[in-house]
Amino acid sequence: MKWMPLLPEAYFFLAAFVFFVLALVPPSGPRRHHLLALFLTAGGLIISLGAMGEDGLFFSQVYRLDLFSQLFKFMLAAGVFLIVCLCDDLQGIPKDRHPEFYFLLILGTLAMMILVSAVELLTLYVALELTSYCLYLLVPLRRGYGIHQEAGIKYFLIGISTSAIMLFGLALLYGAAQTTYLAGLLKVLPHMMGSPMVFIGLLFTLSGFFFKLAFFPFHLWAPNVYQGAANQVTAFIATSTKVAAIAILLRLVALSGSGSRPLVPILVILAIASMTLGNLVALVQQDLKRLLGYSAIAHAGYVFIGILTMSEKGYAGAIFYAMAYLAMNFLCFLVVVKRAGDGQNLKITQLAGLHQRSPLLAMALLLGFFSLGGLPPTIGFTGKFLIFLAAMEKGYFYLVLIAMINVVVSLYYYALVVKAAYFLEPEKNLPPIPLSWPTRLLIVVMVIINVGGGLFPAFFYGLAQAAARLVV
Amino acid sequence: MNITYTGFPFLTAILLSCLIGLLLILFMPAERKGLIRWVSAVFSGIALLLSVYLFLAYDRSQGGFQFAEKVLWMRSLGIHYFNGADGFNLPLLLLTSIVHFTGVLTMWELETRVKEFFALYFLLVLGVFGFFMSLDLFFIFVWYDVSLFPMYPLILIWGTTRKEYGAMKLFLYLLAGSALVLPAILYLFVKSGMNTFDLISLMRSGTFTPFQQKLAFVFFYLGFGILAGVWPLHTWSPTGHVAAPTSVSMLHAGVLMKIGAFGILRLAIFLCPLGWQYWADGMAILAVIGIVYGALVGLTQTDLKYVVAYSSVSHMGIVGLGLSTITVSGLNGAVFQMFAHGIMTALLFSSVGYFHDRTETKLITELGGMSRTMPKASAYFILGALAGMGVPGFANFWAEFTIFVSSLKTFPGLGILAISSLVISALFMLRVIQKTFYGRPNERFSHLPDISFGLGLPRMILVGVLLLFGLFPSLMVDLIQASVTPFMENLPK
Repeated sequence: MKWMPLLPEAYFFLAAFVFFVLALVPPSGPRRHHLLALFLTAGGLIISLGAMGEDGLFFSQVYRLDLFSQLFKFMLAAGVFLIVCLCDDLQGIPKDRHPEFYFLLILGTLAMMILVSAVELLTLYVALELTSYCLYLLVPLRRGYGIHQEAGIKYFLIGISTSAIMLFGLALLYGAAQTTYLAGLLKVLPHMMGSPMVFIGLLFTLSGFFFKLAFFPFHLWAPNVYQGAANQVTAFIATSTKVAAIAILLRLVALSGSGSRPLVPILVILAIASMTLGNLVALVQQDLKRLLGYSAIAHAGYVFIGILTMSEKGYAGAIFYAMAYLAMNFLCFLVVVKRAGDGQNLKITQLAGLHQRSPLLAMALLLGFFSLGGLPPTIGFTGKFLIFLAAMEKGYFYLVLIAMINVVVSLYYYALVVKAAYFLEPEKNLPPIPLSWPTRLLIVVMVIINVGGGLFPAFFYGLAQAAARLVV
Repeated sequence: MNITYTGFPFLTAILLSCLIGLLLILFMPAERKGLIRWVSAVFSGIALLLSVYLFLAYDRSQGGFQFAEKVLWMRSLGIHYFNGADGFNLPLLLLTSIVHFTGVLTMWELETRVKEFFALYFLLVLGVFGFFMSLDLFFIFVWYDVSLFPMYPLILIWGTTRKEYGAMKLFLYLLAGSALVLPAILYLFVKSGMNTFDLISLMRSGTFTPFQQKLAFVFFYLGFGILAGVWPLHTWSPTGHVAAPTSVSMLHAGVLMKIGAFGILRLAIFLCPLGWQYWADGMAILAVIGIVYGALVGLTQTDLKYVVAYSSVSHMGIVGLGLSTITVSGLNGAVFQMFAHGIMTALLFSSVGYFHDRTETKLITELGGMSRTMPKASAYFILGALAGMGVPGFANFWAEFTIFVSSLKTFPGLGILAISSLVISALFMLRVIQKTFYGRPNERFSHLPDISFGLGLPRMILVGVLLLFGLFPSLMVDLIQASVTPFMENLPK
């Protein structure tokens, strides 16, 4: 067996191991840990890019490398690298816990990489559990804010409950199809979707990933966890885990073939509920991270429109949206982390005067939030456009209309955030926010990606289309 | 449809004049206010010169789309960067460039956050130009949204009365409009089965079934109708007009509302002519209600800006009436009215803005005898009001005359009702003129200076344009006719 194609996984395993060892030895200083993590994740990003063209089946055909999985792996590597970029001043996580923090971050990324390559139910389950346990530990790592425990417990309890439901679903699928391989299931399931056992099995299996995506009705953890976790951890949960969840939901929904009668209406209802609930509750939020949590619930609804179309165009749209979501959500969290230099949670009103304190951060916030809101010419607009187009091709006119109304509702609270940054005057004069040159460069690059990806989407969309063909 | 491509991309040059101006302003130090103003004036001037050139260079005997530019943008979805000029959009490109240039001059004395103001102003105009010239549905939608969102900060920062409320209301209303337009665009794209967003290809007869056209037309009409101020979707408009700063009100009422009307024309009517014919009666009824309602409510207003704002609702109703007649003269008048109303309302808002800047009030009861204190500034408003009343000699006369004549043929009852509203319209304008400019002077304002030549210049230009096209209407009518006639001849019966 050739091992070279598995280099990204092996690399991230070794990187995690480095921090595992560092966690066992006396602390050597947060700065060194950060630089090391930065160096290692940058290396991981390059290796993942290099491995983009790899394909093949491994480990008794339970593990598949193809453009689909490699593209998502690259996104995951980019996600963890970007999050580590935000960790130069890791407030909220005790200094002696930094090696554990990076260990869990990188191990979680590795687990998600396994998840997107797994083509067998038990491997999927194990990878999902490994991802979850990293996150269960990352959330309560935060200290001194009084909300991390509630967030950690809520995340853990809802997580293991969904995990149990998912396991039951996997058992039902196995019982019906007598195989745990996705390739085998794909041959059998489309013809058996009328069977309650298969239908419930697939729905229960999906629920494990609904949880990760914060998709209705498994969204309850999101606002609390977003609020309770350290800013960087929230950023990780809000970006990387969503990317992985989208990947695996694509693979699983594709199992039902080109659309089954009982499944699609349920997914449509859930998507509408997710969008509407997320947006309506976000309207009244004061805490910025909670607002982003509810916004994530709404975005889960949007992205699911692409998935539930069960067409190549819809899947391509969803993959493009995953890239867009990573870029735009990261930009928003970058502002959150840099504005809340002390690691505190931010109220929306605390953004007052941001445009005076740091015009660059204010511009990043404007672009990030308007990108989430889907205003052109940002990448968020193009992502929504592609998804809605795919839905329209499947005849979901009303679904697109409801989604567009939701987009307008969401623009209200995104506009309130932008208004706070640009038009609210702070109660007292606050000093300028110092930004290092690497941070400035990072902001400029992310701004270019957010606008460039929206204006010139052809390359990324072509990539997404090529990846989508592999799961249809 | 006849399309002539050009060697030099004039239309892109117009967009670039805005984009380069915007980028230059962005990279200038905020404290160099004078330089920012001059850069704004120069680049808006370039756009104006280019528009005037296109207006004059358009071959009226040939018609069709001229100065076209087409570049493939995204092959897999059939999206093109596709621009072209015809008799429908050239008047509006000219309108935009005139209002843009005069708007910059009007705001010459602005001192608050000058850099941000002009940057957002250029971004807004960039979107408007793009919307008017684009012939690809994807880009039309993108430009549409680009033109909408700068309005929010422009009103929020530099606005006046209830600016927060006005800005948010306008922002959400207009985006709600776009929420209706996008599904309709995607619907037609999918139903055509042609995998293209190219408007010209899609408007071929027989592409869409009657049902598809009727359905899409409703969404386009409602979506763009919000922006066009169609009754009862107009409620954002007076609030937004009043809250906006002077030049933004000028652009807002002068140009932005035309995006709505032009959107109905370019997308709804071009792509769904059968839907147009089916819904024309409903359109006419809503238009006439808007005309009468705007005039009646304008009669009761005490705030000068509200008077002008409601007159806009009424005058945009006249555009709607023209569009609903399904006649050559109706369409001709509608496009002419879009242009004439844009210039006229820009003149009125710029004049109101001047009085407001000096007196810090817009209340008719507080103003009085202004023609004695500020005779030149008052003259500009009075000339604008006369144009608004449809007095011969101004461009508005020809536009309204053409629409009313065609409406009398198609909808006699509604036409008479609409014409009778002219009396109310004249009444509220004369009331304003009498109370504000000739009533008892307010001693508080007796020391105020009259408008300077520099600030009077943009108003002079606007008056000059109204008179030019009022005295020589064929300059405009021939251009519009060159596109209207072939379009109407090709309509499915």
